[in-house]
Amino acid sequence: MFRLLKTESFKLSNKLKSWLGPLLIMVLVLIAFPLSIDISQYDLEKFYFSIIVVSLLMTSFVATEGMFEEDFEDGSLEQEFLIEKDFYKLVLSKIIVYVCLIGIPIAFIGALFSFANGVAIGSFAKVFLLLILSNLLLFNLFAFGNALSINKGAMLGVLSSLPLALPVIILLGRAIRSIQFGDGFSSIIALMFGLGLILSAMMPLIISAALKTHID
Amino acid sequence: MLGWTWGLLFAPQDAVQGNSYRIIFLHVPSVIFAELVYFFMAICALMHLVWRVKLAAYLIKSAAPIGAMITFIGLFSGSIWGIPTWGTWWQWDARITSTLILFIMYLGILTLHGSFSNLEKADRLMSILVIIGVVNIPIIKKSVDWWSTLHQPASISVSGSTSIDPSMLYPLFISVIGLGFTLISLGILSSRSYILSREKNKKWALKHV
Repeated sequence: MFRLLKTESFKLSNKLKSWLGPLLIMVLVLIAFPLSIDISQYDLEKFYFSIIVVSLLMTSFVATEGMFEEDFEDGSLEQEFLIEKDFYKLVLSKIIVYVCLIGIPIAFIGALFSFANGVAIGSFAKVFLLLILSNLLLFNLFAFGNALSINKGAMLGVLSSLPLALPVIILLGRAIRSIQFGDGFSSIIALMFGLGLILSAMMPLIISAALKTHID
Repeated sequence: MLGWTWGLLFAPQDAVQGNSYRIIFLHVPSVIFAELVYFFMAICALMHLVWRVKLAAYLIKSAAPIGAMITFIGLFSGSIWGIPTWGTWWQWDARITSTLILFIMYLGILTLHGSFSNLEKADRLMSILVIIGVVNIPIIKKSVDWWSTLHQPASISVSGSTSIDPSMLYPLFISVIGLGFTLISLGILSSRSYILSREKNKKWALKHV
């Protein structure tokens, strides 16, 4: 597992486009949002969270777009299967590495930009935690979409995984409302954390089954 | 036809909604079957993945367009019903959104299967997606209880009492049964032609072409 984590973090950190692209998209959207609409500070605070949900969805999708494609095309997926006989560990390490190298910076950027958009400074930790958990959930789901489509293009990945991501967005919306109104945040975070654990345990199994079908 | 004729022409007017409620005889059966068709596909997907039953995958592929069509009818008729009752064509309400997700799911399944030239591989990937997507079915069913929605809660309950008058309930039941048989016939026809197209090189299939 440690070998896989090391390999995956090395591979991802060397692919500048894969990790820097989503971060830059996030920054771009969050800068463009207040500039593109003429609204008061009060409205900015109110609408900031909607834009963060959309940008989170976009960046998670962009980040995971080529998750398995390169490995599939250069044969390393097949090689990994010969060593491990399964993809569970590989998928799990990929998701952990993606969350650490892309998810955490995205959550930090989102939480940092929240001040500029009028959100109270005391909410930093809440926004940060919320965005990390959302990234964990979305990365798992989009990884599934990409494992199904592998090298068949982004549209197929979106069609396969977006329906599954929508319940997460609904949950995210609830959490955001609880930050805004200061009510029931911990219960929603606990729910998201539990869901994150279940998905992180189950999704690698399912993704592994999909990947095995591709190399059969 | 009997259910629709009874419902559209002979069932009494609703005290609050007037005649606009009559779309219930199309809307309710179609959304019931939108979910049932998916549930059927999920059972087939399980059979295909666990026991490698080839026919199960063929049935999923044949049922998916029917499911997509019936879900679209359910969404569209609901949208038409929304105008006189809610004053809007569309509302981002939990029940409506989760049904839209089901529609996208059907499209995803069809697109996924269509994008692979190796049909055995496509069958297996499609089955995996169908099983994962089944999580949406209880969400649709319970959405009116879990969230505060504009969509009304269930009026008909298997275990409890129903809030619909028998003069409207009977034609509704007949419409549900009628649509069920129509969809089964459609399913049989479509799966028959799909099985023949997939097995066209086999001896037994050549006899039927």
